[in-house]
Amino acid sequence: MRRIEHVLGSRLEPDMSEALHRLEHRGAVDIVAVPAADLARRRLLISTRSGEELAIALPRTEKLFDGAVLLLERDRAIVVRAATERWLRLEPRSISDAVELGYQVGNLHWRVRFGGEVLLVALEGRPEDYTARIENLIAARRVAVTVLDEEAVDSPPSHEAAPSHSHGASHDSHPHHHRDH
Amino acid sequence: MLHALRQAKAQATATVAARVGIGGPVGSGKTALIEALIPVLQRRGVDFAVVTNDLVTKEDAERLRRSGLIDPDRVSAVEAGACPHTVIREDPTLNIAAGDELEARFPGVELILFESGGDNLASTFSLDLVDWWIFVIDVAGGDDIPRKRGPGLLRCDLLVVNKIDLAPHVGVDLDRMLADARQVRGGKPVIATNLKAGTGVEAVADAISAAVLFRI
Repeated sequence: MRRIEHVLGSRLEPDMSEALHRLEHRGAVDIVAVPAADLARRRLLISTRSGEELAIALPRTEKLFDGAVLLLERDRAIVVRAATERWLRLEPRSISDAVELGYQVGNLHWRVRFGGEVLLVALEGRPEDYTARIENLIAARRVAVTVLDEEAVDSPPSHEAAPSHSHGASHDSHPHHHRDH
Repeated sequence: MLHALRQAKAQATATVAARVGIGGPVGSGKTALIEALIPVLQRRGVDFAVVTNDLVTKEDAERLRRSGLIDPDRVSAVEAGACPHTVIREDPTLNIAAGDELEARFPGVELILFESGGDNLASTFSLDLVDWWIFVIDVAGGDDIPRKRGPGLLRCDLLVVNKIDLAPHVGVDLDRMLADARQVRGGKPVIATNLKAGTGVEAVADAISAAVLFRI
């Protein structure tokens, strides 16, 4: 078990990028795929793709993110790959349906993004556990539902937001999308 | 040069204490779980402290301080003054500060337990506050609780079903309740406890040790 106590930097930083590029040619960059819901954790027991177990214990001022470099040695590196986040796309049929949907989603404390006329809910569990909570709207065809992977979520004018009950400060309602380039 | 800088950073800061949340409905056994864990953690040599949350009093903190189980200075109290979930999820600033203050007073502390005030099945912890969290329910609350799929029960890292000794007295089918809990949680861990008798406490301590102290 390897203990990781710091994020060393981002794979996009020029000096990191150069060192990683060299190691990639030698197949020496190991990946640890972290589920989206676990990115906010500072302590995590998880295995890399090559099977090495990592005991991640970060200071409270540091966080995991897609592209976080956890190990950089002369002959080896370990980089975080954020697992694809899945979203529930909720499309209300009318303004009154949208008002009611917004009310219910806020009360449920779901993590959302606004996508124009649709609401995107981050899935941190099974989709059916989410749709069951708004079954009345779905069954009456007042809200249409689809499940999307991260790549399918339109990035243009979407706006991330905390659930309506949030009282501000720092909490887990702010997904950051550090996409690969 | 790059390697030297990275190594210097890696050695610069000692790792801070792991933070574990304990939430659940009123009377389910959150304080009892901490009381039961204290001697087990002490015997295992874990250096720990506790933050309790109460609505408008310091009742739970005083209960732990008077217990004689733990150095009273290692118990810190937060008064939520509002719905308990607001200070463990929406704005955990008071609790984060209480944890930081305990770490400053007790250098070397490895683990801080945060006990939420009693709340409902929707209560969840922010991962800004804790690294891992437990939700405690009890059989006297009814064996239909798992089927209600409350976010606290679904999302916690460990579900504790307490007071299993009461099942026959309150007409609860314990096996079915545990099976329902495991089913709705998609295989995430569930531990049955009778905290008054110490049943299941070692298993809870094992789960905490493995998940955040990495002692397996």
